[in-house]
Amino acid sequence: MSIDPTSLKRRGFLYRVLAEAGAEFGEIGGAAVALRYRGSIEEETHKARHLAIADLSPLPRCGFKGNGAVEWLQSQGLDIGPDSNKAYRQPNGALAARLAPTEIFLIDDLGGEGRLSARLDAAWSWGKEKPRKPCGYPMPRADSHAWFALAGAESPAMFSKICGVDLRTHRFPDLAIAQTSVAKMNAIVIREDRGGVPGYHLLADSASAEYLWACVIDAMEEFGGAAVGLEALRRLGGP
Amino acid sequence: MKIMNCPLNGPRNISEFAWGGELRAMPDPNTCGAHEWADYVFLENNTAGMVREWWCHVPTSFWFIAERDTVSDEIVRTYRATEVFKDRVEFKTAPLPGEPGS
Amino acid sequence: MIADNRLPEPYGRLIDRRRPIDFTFERRAYRGLAGDTIASALGANGEWLLSRSFKYRRPRGVLTMAGQDGNTLVQIGSEPNVLADLRPIAEGLAAEGQNYDGFLNQDRGRVVERLARFMPVGFYYKAFFKPKGAWKFWEPIIRNRAGLGKVDVHAHHGYFDKQYLFADVAVIGGGPAGMSAALQAASSGAEIVLIDDMPELGGSLGYARFESQGVRGAAVASRLRRRLAGHKNVTVLSNCTCTGLYGDNWLAAVAGQRLYKIRAKSVVVATGSLEQPAVFRHNDLPGIMMGSAAQRLIHLYGVKPGRKAVVLTANADGYGVALDLDDAGVEVEAVVDMREAPVATIMTRSVANRRIRVLAGHTISEAIENRHGEHLAAVLVNRIVGEGRYERGATIVGCDLVCMSVGYTPAGQLLHHAGARFAYDEATHMFQPAELPAGVLASGSVNGAYDLDAVLAEGIRAGWLAARDAGMPVTGSEPVASYDSGARDLTHPWPIFPHKKGKDFIDFDEDLQVKDLVNAIADGYDDIELLKRYSTVGMGPSQGRHSGVAAVRVLAKETGRPVSALGVTTQRPPYRPVKFGHLGGRGFEPVRYTAMHHRHIELGGRMMLAGLWLRPAYYGVPADRDKAILEEVLAVRRNVGLIDVSTLGGLDVRGPDAAELLNRLYTFAYAKQPVGRSRYVLMTDQSGVITDDGVACRFHDQHFYVTATTGGVDAVYRHMLFWNAQWRLDVDVANVTAAYAGVNLAGPKSRAVLSRLCSDVDLSAEAFPYMGVRQGTVAGIPARLLRVGFVGELGYEIHVPASQGEALWDAIMAVGALEDIRPFGVEAQRVLRLEKGHIIIGQDTDGLTHPLEAGMGWAIAKNKPFFIGGRSIEIQGSKALTRKLVGFIVDDKSAPVPDECHLVIHRGEIVGRVTSAVRSPTLDATVGLAYVAPAQATPDTQFEIKVAGGRMIRGRVISPPFYDPDNKRQAM
Repeated sequence: MSIDPTSLKRRGFLYRVLAEAGAEFGEIGGAAVALRYRGSIEEETHKARHLAIADLSPLPRCGFKGNGAVEWLQSQGLDIGPDSNKAYRQPNGALAARLAPTEIFLIDDLGGEGRLSARLDAAWSWGKEKPRKPCGYPMPRADSHAWFALAGAESPAMFSKICGVDLRTHRFPDLAIAQTSVAKMNAIVIREDRGGVPGYHLLADSASAEYLWACVIDAMEEFGGAAVGLEALRRLGGP
Repeated sequence: MKIMNCPLNGPRNISEFAWGGELRAMPDPNTCGAHEWADYVFLENNTAGMVREWWCHVPTSFWFIAERDTVSDEIVRTYRATEVFKDRVEFKTAPLPGEPGS
Repeated sequence: MIADNRLPEPYGRLIDRRRPIDFTFERRAYRGLAGDTIASALGANGEWLLSRSFKYRRPRGVLTMAGQDGNTLVQIGSEPNVLADLRPIAEGLAAEGQNYDGFLNQDRGRVVERLARFMPVGFYYKAFFKPKGAWKFWEPIIRNRAGLGKVDVHAHHGYFDKQYLFADVAVIGGGPAGMSAALQAASSGAEIVLIDDMPELGGSLGYARFESQGVRGAAVASRLRRRLAGHKNVTVLSNCTCTGLYGDNWLAAVAGQRLYKIRAKSVVVATGSLEQPAVFRHNDLPGIMMGSAAQRLIHLYGVKPGRKAVVLTANADGYGVALDLDDAGVEVEAVVDMREAPVATIMTRSVANRRIRVLAGHTISEAIENRHGEHLAAVLVNRIVGEGRYERGATIVGCDLVCMSVGYTPAGQLLHHAGARFAYDEATHMFQPAELPAGVLASGSVNGAYDLDAVLAEGIRAGWLAARDAGMPVTGSEPVASYDSGARDLTHPWPIFPHKKGKDFIDFDEDLQVKDLVNAIADGYDDIELLKRYSTVGMGPSQGRHSGVAAVRVLAKETGRPVSALGVTTQRPPYRPVKFGHLGGRGFEPVRYTAMHHRHIELGGRMMLAGLWLRPAYYGVPADRDKAILEEVLAVRRNVGLIDVSTLGGLDVRGPDAAELLNRLYTFAYAKQPVGRSRYVLMTDQSGVITDDGVACRFHDQHFYVTATTGGVDAVYRHMLFWNAQWRLDVDVANVTAAYAGVNLAGPKSRAVLSRLCSDVDLSAEAFPYMGVRQGTVAGIPARLLRVGFVGELGYEIHVPASQGEALWDAIMAVGALEDIRPFGVEAQRVLRLEKGHIIIGQDTDGLTHPLEAGMGWAIAKNKPFFIGGRSIEIQGSKALTRKLVGFIVDDKSAPVPDECHLVIHRGEIVGRVTSAVRSPTLDATVGLAYVAPAQATPDTQFEIKVAGGRMIRGRVISPPFYDPDNKRQAM
C-alpha cells in the first residue's frame, strides 16, 4: 500500500522522481518516505549490500549552532565528544554530527520513531533569562539539506567519481565526517555502516536534490547500483 | 592541484578554498587621512616572499589564516583566525563635526 | 596488393590470433587481429602509408609505434587526430588518413612541396601582408589547409567521466624501472598506482633485445608481472596515459573515456626514453622508422616491418635490431654504423657471425622513394668525414626499411611539468634530470640508466625512496645502484647530415628542415625558446620529442656555444593531447529548484536561470509572451498575483550582537529597530561600492532574518563570517536560503486571500502595517510573514519551510481561485518594480556605483561609529558626483523602448547609460532608470539616448516612483 506524497503538507524534495522509479511511500513523521520499489525486498536488500541510494529526506533531522549549542545539547542528554568532523552515536541510534566546535547536525535514527529532533526543537527557546544563558540557535536542517543514504561495498568507488576526498573504508573510518564538494555541490558526508555494510549519509542543498540524485544514479550505473527504499536499509541491520 | 590544510577540515584540494586577501590592519577610519585610507582599500602589498592571507574553506564557509611563500608557492602554515584575533573589536564613535580631528 | 606480413608465433605477444577483426582504412577493407593497433594491422597487410604531413603533404608512416609521433594521426568518424599506433582496432572501425586532397596515396596537395623554396621559415610572419588586401585573398586558402583532421561540428558529446584515485606512491611507466620501483615500494605496505600506456606491463622488456639470444627481456618481464600480481596494494592502470604531473603530486591520467585525477604522496616517473631519429635527406619516408618501432612491430604485434632492411646505428642497440630483423626473416642488407670504430660487444659479434654487412664510419645521406612516391626504395650510404659531413661517392642500397638506432633522449615531460631541471651530459651526449622537486623521483632510462641491471637496481632505489617519502616504514638504508648505467656510447652527438637539396627533416610535424633552423637562427632567433616560437620547431603534435634535441644541437653549432649552455625548451602539460570531453567529464553543473518548481512547469511557466536557480519568467506560450506579462502585471495591480520568491537569499543573524553586526555591515542603523518591523539593508564594500540589498526583519531582540539578493547571498554570508572572524562579536550567522520557500502574494485582494488561510495573525492594516513582520501559520504551515513592497501593492511575503513550500503554493492557489489569482513571473515583477522605481543591485548598479550616485543617501545612517564602506562614501561625498542614477520617462509614445546599456549622449559625448527600461502598461509610457551627467539629473531635464540602429530618442528625468508616488497602495 502506497500513500500519495501530496496528501501530506511536508513533501520530499524529489517525490516525483522516486514515484516515477516505482517507489512505494509510507508516512513517517508527517511526510511520505520511499519504503520500497517494485520487486522483492530481498532483492532490494541484496542491492543495498552491493551499491544503492535511498532518499531519507522526509525523515526527521535538526541542528544547533552557535555559542552554547553543544553544552545545551549535552544538558538535553546527548552524548557529544570533543572532536569536530566526527559523528557521535546516540543511544537511540541517532547521530550527532559535530561539524565544528559549536555546530551540531543531528540526524534521527532510521526508524524515524526516535523523535529526537522533534523533542529538541520543542525544547529550545529564547527564554526569559537576562542575560540569556548561551544555548546556541536551532538550524532548519530538515529543510536546508536533502538527506541521501548510500550503502554497499561499491559506495567508495562510486564516490570517487563525484568527490575528491578519499572516502575508502580503510581511510575514512566509521562515523568520520567530510565537509567537502560532491558533484560540485557543498556537501556533508558521514560514514555510518549498517550490519557490516559500508554506508554513508550524504547531506546537501535541498534545492539541488534532483540534480544530486541524478548525479549519483549516473555514477552508480557502471557498478550496477540502484535506488532502494528505507526498508532495505533497515534490513541491513543496525549500525 | 595543490593541497591546502584547513585547520577545521584537514588537507583538501585547493579548489575547495577561496582566497580572501592579505591580512592587514584597518587604520582608524575616523582619524586616518584620505590617502592612508585609499592605500588600505585599494593597494595590495603584493609581496614576493612570505605573506599572511585569509583563506576560506568554501563548503564550510570557514575562514582561517595561511602563511604562504609567493615565490616558491609553498603553503607554510595554516591556523585558526582566533590565534591572531583574540578579542572583540570595538569602533569608537566618529568625532562630531566641529570637534578636533574632524 | 595486400601482403601478409604476419609473423608466426611466438611473435606478437599482444595479439590474439584466434580473433580476427575487420575494419576499413581509406574505405578499403582490412583484417587484423584482436590486440592490433590500426598501424600494426595495416602493416600486417603491407600498408605503411598512414597520413600526410601538415605542410608539404609528404607521405608519412610508422615512426615510433609508441604513440610518440605525429605521423600516424588518422581520423575515425568525427574523431580527428587518433594515434594509429596506439588505438586498437575494433570490429567495423573506419579510419581515414589526414591532410590530403583527393586520395591519400595521390594527394593533389603535394604540389605544395615543389613550392617549398618559396615558403621559408617565418613564412607567415613575412608574407601575406603586402600588398594591402593580400591577406583577404590568402586567408581562406590558408584556413582551408590549416589544422589537423576535420572537426565534425555536429558530433554528439560522448559519455566522458572522471574518477579520483589515491595512492601512497604513483608510478608512471610499466617498464622494468617502473615495475621494480612499484614492487619495492609495495613491499613497504604502501598503496601503489602503476600507470602504463600499453595493454600489458613490460615496457622495453616486451620488445628490446638485451643479449644476443633475445630471451632475457621476456623472462624478466614475466617474473616482475607475477610478483606484482601478488600484491593486493598495487593497482595497475593499463592502456592509461599520464598526461600531467601537477602541484603536490596531482596526476592526470587518461584511459578510454575517463580522466583519472590521482593524488599521491610521492611519485616515481619511470617513463623511459625516446629513441631519436637521424637527419638526412628524405628521412621521413614511410619505411624509415626507429629501431625500437621495428622491434615493437615484430615482438608485440607479430608484424614483419619490411623485407629488405638497412639498420642505421650508432650504438649496440642497433645490432640488436639487426638480429631481431634477421630472426624475423627480414633481409638485413647492411648495418650502417656512424661510429668510426664500434666497440665490440656480444651483439656486434653475433651480427658478424651471421655475416651481416657492417659499414662502420658511414651514414645514410639520402633516402630514395619508390616510383609511387609513397615508400622507401633505396638509400645512399656515404663515408663520414667529419661532423655532419660525408664523402662523395655513395653506395646505393635497395631496401624498403630503414631502422634508426642512433641515440635516445629521456622522456622527461612529466618531470618538466613538476619543475625538474635538466642538464646536458657531455659524456653521454644526453640531457639528464639534474634537480627534482621533493616527492618526485626519476627512475630508469628517464634518469639515465640504460643497462637492464642498472635499470632494475634504479627501480629498487626509487621505490625505496618513494615509500620513504610517502611516510611508509622502510627498512635498511637507501639502496645503492652500483651497476654501470650503460648510458655511454648510446647516443651519437651529431646524427645530422644536412643535404644541399634539403628535405633533411628535423621536425616531421612541421616539415622543418635543417636550413629552416639555420635561417631562423640567422634571423636572430638564437635562444632556444625564441627559435621554437619563430620556426615552430617542437610545436606540432609530438611536441618536440624527436626534434627538440636536434634543434638544440643545430643552435649550438650555429652559435658556437656548447649544448650544455643552451638547455631545452620547457615542456608543459598535457603529455598527450587531451580531449575537451575528458576535461568536461560529466559536466557537473548544479541547478537549484524551488519547492514550487514543478508547479510552475505544470502551469506553463517558462523557466529562466537566476544564479543557479530556475525561475518562471512568465506563464504561457512564447508566442504570447508580451500578452502574458501584461496580464500578469495587471493582475497584480488590479486584483491579486502570486510569485515564487524562494530564490531570495535568507540569513538568520542571531545573538546579543546581532544588531551590532548589521550596523557594521549595512549602511542603515539597526540597534533601535523594533521587534516585528523590517528595515531596508544596503551593503557596500570597503570602497563604498554597493554590493547587495534586502530587508532585515527583527523577530526577536537577538534575531534578525536578513534577506539578500538571489545571486548575492552566498557572498554576503561569506562576507559576514569574514568580518566577524576579526571582530569576534557574540553573534551567529546562518545561511537558510534553501531552507525557506517563499511567495509574494501581492495585489489589492491579497489580504482577502491570505485571511482565508491565516487565522493566528491579525492581518488588519493597523495591527500588521506596511514593513511589519510576523510569525504565524498559513494553511497550517509555520510561516514568517513580511509586509514589503517591491511591486508597490498591498502584499505579503510568506516564507515557510522548503519541504512545505509546495503545499503552501497549492493552498494559496486553491483559495485564490475565488479571487481569480494569477501566478506571475520574473518579467512581470521587473515591470512592476520599475514602475515603482526600485533598483536591482547588479542591474541598476555596477562595479563602481556608490550610494550617493544611486540616490540612496537616505539609506546611510549618520550617527554610527563605523560601517564597511562608510569612510569611503564620506570621501566620495566630499567630491562632486560624476554621474547620477535617475528615473526617466519617454514622452514620445512611438519611440522604441531602449535596451539596457543603451548610451546617454550629451553633445556628442557618452555621459551615461540606460540600466532598466520597460513599457509600463499601468502608466502607458516607457519608463526606466539611467545614469546621466549630474547636470542632467534635475527633474524635467531632457537627455538623449542612442537606441538600436543609432536612432536618438529623448528621455525626460522624473523622480521615481513613477507609479503611486505617495506609496499609498503598498501601505493599504
